[in-house]
Amino acid sequence: MVLQTGVLAPERPVEQDIYRVADNDWRPQPPLKGPLADQWDHRKDEYKLVAPNNRRKHTVIVVGTGLAGASVAASLGELGYNVLSFCIQDSPRRAHSIAAQGGINAAKNYPNDGDSVWRLFYDTIKGGDYRSRESNTYRLAQLSVNIIDQAVAQGVPFEREYGGLLANRSFGGAQVSRTFYARGQTGQQLLLGAYQSLMRQVDAGTVTTFPRREMLDLITIDGRARGIVVRHLITGAIERYAADVVVLATGGYGNVFYLSTNAVNSNASAAWRAHKRGAFFANPAYTQIHPTCIPVTGDHQSKLTLMSESLRNNGRIWVPKKAGDRRPPNQIPVEDRDYYLERKYPSFGNLVPRDVASRNAKQVCDEGRGVGESGLAVYLDFHDAIERRGKEYIRSEYGNLFEMYERITGEDAYETPMRIYPAIHYTMGGLWVDYDLQSTIPGLFVLGEANFSDHGANRLGASALMQALADGYFVAPYSIANYIASAAPEPISTAHEAFSESVYEVQARINALLSVNGHRTPRDFHRQLGHLLWDEVGMSRNDAGLRHALACIPQLREEFWKDVMVPGTPDNKNYNLEYAGRVADYLEFAELMAIDALHRTESCGCHFREESQTPDGEALRIDDEFSYVAAWKFAGVGAQPLLYKEPLEFAFVHPSQRSYK
Amino acid sequence: MVETSQRSTDPPLETAAATPKSARRKSYLASTVGVKTLMAITGLLFFLFLVFHLIGNLLLFVGPSTLNGYSHWLIVNPFLVPAEIGLLAIFAIHVFEAVVNYLRNRAARPTPYYQPVRRIFGRGWAGKPSRKSFASTSMILSGLITLVFVVVHIIQFKYGPNYPVTSPSDGTPGVRDIYRLVTHQFSSTWIMLFYVFCLTVIGIHLWHGLTSALNSLGVDSPRYTPALLKTGRVIAVIMAAAFLSLPLWVYFVWS
Amino acid sequence: MRLTLLIWRQQGPDVPGKMVEYEVNDISPDMSFLEMLDVLNEQLILSGSDPIAFDSDCREGICGMCGLVINGRPHGPNRFTATCQLHMRFFNDGDTITIEPWRARAFPIIKDLTVDRSAFDRIMAAGGYVSSNVGAAPEANSILVPRQAADSAMDSAACIGCGACVATCKNASAVLFVGAKLTHLADLPQGDPERARRAVRMVAQMDAEGFGSCSNEGECQAVCPKGIDLLNIATLRREFNRGVKMGAK
Ligand SMILES: Cc1cc2nc3c(=O)[nH]c(=O)nc-3n(C[C@H](O)[C@H](O)[C@H](O)COP(=O)(O)OP(=O)(O)OC[C@H]3O[C@@H](n4cnc5c(N)ncnc54)[C@H](O)[C@@H]3O)c2cc1C
Ligand code: HEM
Ligand code: HEM
Ligand code: SF4
Ligand code: F3S
Ligand code: FES
Repeated sequence: MVLQTGVLAPERPVEQDIYRVADNDWRPQPPLKGPLADQWDHRKDEYKLVAPNNRRKHTVIVVGTGLAGASVAASLGELGYNVLSFCIQDSPRRAHSIAAQGGINAAKNYPNDGDSVWRLFYDTIKGGDYRSRESNTYRLAQLSVNIIDQAVAQGVPFEREYGGLLANRSFGGAQVSRTFYARGQTGQQLLLGAYQSLMRQVDAGTVTTFPRREMLDLITIDGRARGIVVRHLITGAIERYAADVVVLATGGYGNVFYLSTNAVNSNASAAWRAHKRGAFFANPAYTQIHPTCIPVTGDHQSKLTLMSESLRNNGRIWVPKKAGDRRPPNQIPVEDRDYYLERKYPSFGNLVPRDVASRNAKQVCDEGRGVGESGLAVYLDFHDAIERRGKEYIRSEYGNLFEMYERITGEDAYETPMRIYPAIHYTMGGLWVDYDLQSTIPGLFVLGEANFSDHGANRLGASALMQALADGYFVAPYSIANYIASAAPEPISTAHEAFSESVYEVQARINALLSVNGHRTPRDFHRQLGHLLWDEVGMSRNDAGLRHALACIPQLREEFWKDVMVPGTPDNKNYNLEYAGRVADYLEFAELMAIDALHRTESCGCHFREESQTPDGEALRIDDEFSYVAAWKFAGVGAQPLLYKEPLEFAFVHPSQRSYK
Repeated sequence: MVETSQRSTDPPLETAAATPKSARRKSYLASTVGVKTLMAITGLLFFLFLVFHLIGNLLLFVGPSTLNGYSHWLIVNPFLVPAEIGLLAIFAIHVFEAVVNYLRNRAARPTPYYQPVRRIFGRGWAGKPSRKSFASTSMILSGLITLVFVVVHIIQFKYGPNYPVTSPSDGTPGVRDIYRLVTHQFSSTWIMLFYVFCLTVIGIHLWHGLTSALNSLGVDSPRYTPALLKTGRVIAVIMAAAFLSLPLWVYFVWS
Repeated sequence: MRLTLLIWRQQGPDVPGKMVEYEVNDISPDMSFLEMLDVLNEQLILSGSDPIAFDSDCREGICGMCGLVINGRPHGPNRFTATCQLHMRFFNDGDTITIEPWRARAFPIIKDLTVDRSAFDRIMAAGGYVSSNVGAAPEANSILVPRQAADSAMDSAACIGCGACVATCKNASAVLFVGAKLTHLADLPQGDPERARRAVRMVAQMDAEGFGSCSNEGECQAVCPKGIDLLNIATLRREFNRGVKMGAK
């Protein structure tokens, strides 16, 4: 994808022009004691407490009502804090977490198949390609068990066995069955559980909800997070809220790619604005791509729909051998088909991990062998499976998925092969947090997908829900109390000049967006940015491409501010204005993402650098050089960000290289 | 241009879920569920009266003496007055609640859709498995027509001319000759037509009303509901047909 | 495809609105209904006019944020399909399509096709939960739940809170939504202790919000994108009656 403006990339900038590396040894973690299994207990014992009758006096702002936000707001409310809960949607229940389908992991070992906290921990850290902290990941596995208890007590209707016990299934190639699920709506049910607890606190008077608000700035006073500035999305009023603690649980930034499986209101803005106020951003380049999505049909498309990975258990993936072969699939004889995964990975075949399947699909499409109108799809063919096991079997396994596919594409996958293509699905990167989930700004806690903490360079299926709820129900309520008890923030007024300044800036930005009066819609810019990122900072990255992206993004940004068109007024519901603000942030954030991808010249997890592969073309980690978390400090829009390296040490597991041949 | 609002955090200023607790209704009968329970009970009781009334009226076909004997038994029955009072109460409650409920429901949907889905007869506006029907949308109308009917009907019959029985073949001489009254009335074309219209309307009311009443009382199950729905409609048709047979028979056959 | 759209435009809650006609060309049958509106909005933006305000988020039929009355039917012509899942291939070239917002007193119009459904949140706050504080939960398998109960609870819990049931009901009744929550929690042992109180409070709040009563018409089930069954309404009545009998407040 070439920039539409046709401006060629300037001379390649040299390294120092792109980013700087902080020279001090950065060891920001609180010291943790003892073996992995005891660290969390030790840490909790160190935490200070807030007396019950004092809690009401402390205000906590929670931005986001997804699994992470709703769970922490409800928990803090139950404890008696004064909680203010914000979200973009018209109701907290609609946060993006609602869309998660597959399930949630927990080391309950109910099926007695050898699962344990250690094994879940080990799978998670290995799945993350050894780019996450042992301590955090272990705690996640420990807490997974409590999440299920909590959810069941709330009335989450998990699938049951006939005897009335909870059912489990194996997910995403795991060797044990540790995934709990509620039909294909696990995220919905877990979120409704958290939402209901939240609404209970609303009735109890501890939580106040502020729906249809978009956080536009974080207020820091004396170096601490003390409030937020939001826009009321109906009246357009710019509102200020002060607090002792601010919690961001604003989800992932996948929508920077324009097309993703995320909800259309998911965004990077809240995290980005906090970053601009001093919170470090960690590993922005780690983005996960899911191989089985329904492909793009045209430029009009607004989002991508995920289909369960289980389809790969029975479908065979292929493309024509010859580039440009436009025959309908049924007329392409077997000898003209390339079952490329089976060919390249004889032992795993179509069941190779997400990143490998995705990368190979991209590769064959890049070779011009993609299928469908756009040429950006591969076939997932059930013909053989139907012949072997019968149509009824396939219907019983995948009936609803085939239906969904038909609804969207108008094609009957029993008759003609499905077309699939990879799509952006999850972002492992996020605001940097320590073991207490506190960012580099004291008093700013970051939870859920918005933080970077537990998944390293790749997330395993069914573990995002687990992390968001572990953060919200079981970690942050303790660590936030500790912060309040130790830092004793003084009451603050929203009349403070920090608020006024921020409101002024926010308004100036809104007015700027409204007054450009150019010729292109925000969507148009977003789409262009997305194409660029998908091509250069997507599934497979290389030095030249990343530099190209880094040259194009600032140009696009400049053009945006010269040529964007945002009609309407700021004083009522103006979706286009909201959207333009988010696109403006993506245009800043994308640069950091590309810089991070450029600086990490190793391949790890979902981050595949073409320069760093094994002779077989697999991802090659370089532990000596890159066993660290890349935490970026903001230095100004377009200015070189400052890189802090948090070393990753593995005292309990030994990093190994993966192989699927 | 942008409005700035100075907001502190305490006390909470605005919340989607600030529950107007005081506004929560307290009385059962004032609740939307209670109103419908009451309507269902009164509707069903009145329906029972109708069944009873129908059986009595069908004695018309047996002959004057039987009908007159039956009605005399009714008239002199000491329980008649209490039963009438009860009936009146039931009817009044049904009508009152119907009107209250109707007004409340109309207020709940003040603006109509620009484009209503048009399908007057047949099953359900929105398609399967909707039970919406012409009957269900016109309950208030069919009800009000019934109200007019009942008033006219009572004036006509209960407070109508008091013909005494003259010939012993028509019953005990001296008692009220209801047979004559009925046949006389239904011989008039206008009255016959009025009855045909109103009785059809009552059938329509019952078409939706009977199963609806059971639903309102919380009766619904995947096993029985389809059968209940059918039964309710069959009964409505039978009731209407049986009632209709009287004026039609008198007008076309008897006279 | 070329379509004529008749769309409800209304600047704000207290301003009168009207139907406005728009033409769109080059609509691909692969587009979703909302993408078709996105295209129209792009045109409006470029011509400097105010785009049409409508809500959506997940665009895969689960968040419940979207909702348009399309040709008089909430969520359009297809069963089990939320507005965002509706595709243009179900329309024909040259069609005229009317698009209106949900209409109910309890759902005031905010702008154009956007309505305020916070009444649902307030109903939920009145009792749509199980009171179980974090940390106090017993081991998950310590309470057995018959599979059938879990299944039927899940049937009701599938409600996405979109409000189509209210939009279609001639009485703007919310009983299907409320009934679904009452049924979900009544079906499970975890929800049992609070059943009485929950039913009484949720129904009371529902009434206070200005939703109408239910005339058992069943339109709601027909348009519900999750096919929530009318049985949930009967359950609501039983639960409420039971709650009142038990003197719950
Ligand atoms: C299609 C799909 C399927 C998935 N399936 C699974 C699965 O099976 N298992 C699994 O474990 N994970 C799954 N995931 C991942 C998982 O759903 C998410 O990672 C997780 O739900 C994130 O939760 P969260 O609470 O961090 O954020 P979210 O749920 O994204 O919530 C973000 C919240 O922040 C608010 N917000 C954002 N920005 C602002 C702002 N500027 N101002 C105010 N509020 C703001 C939003 O309104 C929202 O309330 C799936 C993801 C997708 C896309
Ligand atoms: C022959 C006498 C009548 C009988 C047997 C009868 C019976 C019934 C029954 C069984 C119902 C169903 C109740 C429910 O849905 O719970 C009903 C509903 C109704 N009745 Fe009657 N009714 C009669 C007269 C009237 C009259 C005189 C009115 C006058 C207004 C009336 C108005 C209504 C209305 C409006 C409803 C619908 C309530 C709703 O919207 O749910 N009915 N009737
Ligand atoms: C063709 C059909 C009908 C006939 C022939 C008929 C006949 C009569 C007669 C003869 C009486 C007077 C009884 C008396 O005073 O002793 C009467 C009373 C009455 N009828 Fe009917 N009726 C018919 C249909 C209906 C219907 C459909 C309704 C209800 C909707 C109805 C409601 C009443 C009522 C309420 C009374 C007064 C009862 C009382 O006060 O005792 N009738 N009817
Ligand atoms: S019951 Fe159905 S129509 Fe009503 S809110 Fe729930 S999902 Fe929407
Ligand atoms: S459409 Fe309305 S009348 Fe009752 S059954 Fe559904 S709420
Ligand atoms: S946008 Fe989420 S249900 Fe339609």
